[in-house]
Amino acid sequence: MHWQLRGPHQLGPQRLASRKTLLSFAPALAATVVACHAATVLASGGETIVSSQVISDTVVDSGTTTIGDGTFVGDGVVVDGGMMGGRTYGQPDLFYNYYTQGMANQANAQMYLAPVPVPPNVGHTFYTYQPFYPHELLYWHKDRYHNFYDNGRGLNRTRINYGGNPIHQAASNIYWNYLRLPR
Amino acid sequence: MSKTTSGWLFAAVALVSLGAQPNQADAGDPMAVTTLWNHNFAQPRPWHGGYYYQPYGQPTALVVPPTAHMRQTHSWGVGQNLMWPIHHQFGRSATQPGAAGPGQFMATPQWPSHTDQFGIYYVRGPWD
Repeated sequence: MHWQLRGPHQLGPQRLASRKTLLSFAPALAATVVACHAATVLASGGETIVSSQVISDTVVDSGTTTIGDGTFVGDGVVVDGGMMGGRTYGQPDLFYNYYTQGMANQANAQMYLAPVPVPPNVGHTFYTYQPFYPHELLYWHKDRYHNFYDNGRGLNRTRINYGGNPIHQAASNIYWNYLRLPR
Repeated sequence: MSKTTSGWLFAAVALVSLGAQPNQADAGDPMAVTTLWNHNFAQPRPWHGGYYYQPYGQPTALVVPPTAHMRQTHSWGVGQNLMWPIHHQFGRSATQPGAAGPGQFMATPQWPSHTDQFGIYYVRGPWD
């Protein structure tokens, strides 16, 4: 099996703002993006938005610009709207493990390191790039990975195809399903 | 249409259909019903048997592809071969307890008679 990696494609803030999944909200600033999460009512307009993080990509005037209920945008500074409790886009986990699931386990296992963890004094490395996780190579599929960077100003999109040579696979199927003598 | 043209067309269609097959990871279950069944069956059942893996001291999960469906156990002495579905799959939620205390699991017997006694149990890898 081999993999083909396409990308990464960079999505700038302007393209981000045009995505349907993110509500764009730019009252005074051209490049102000409001990405949304928990429900809040803006005091000024009375409109309901789904949580917000105000992100400015351009350097606006050095003073402060007031938006709506008084949250402000400075010089390209990320200003938490005060409603999300420290959600950060720019710093995703470098690595997060997988665990066995269920209610009836007397012991649980983590997937990495496989097959068993090493003693802590030995030390270990871990994978920080999701498309290269070894468990992705266990079956043929395609995946897309999205990563915010630079505090949510950009989105990195990576497409990858985990698969093999289809002609080789077809020949193998013909051999194993039709030509091989069952013995 | 001449014979040769139709022959080439047939060959091309056959090639395309053969090539398209392997990209369908979970064909035959478009609604992912077995995934749901597996999830529901895994909840009240442990992923492990009653034995620990001798070199590690804990029951040990062997990662198998998420497309794997069945496992086979083998016992000897009193011979037995059984097929079991693999319900359990690795997931994102961190779970309790982590490691088992000493004495919770049995060691592999001096004369093993079943493949489950070696303390290695299949768990399917995650989809993503």
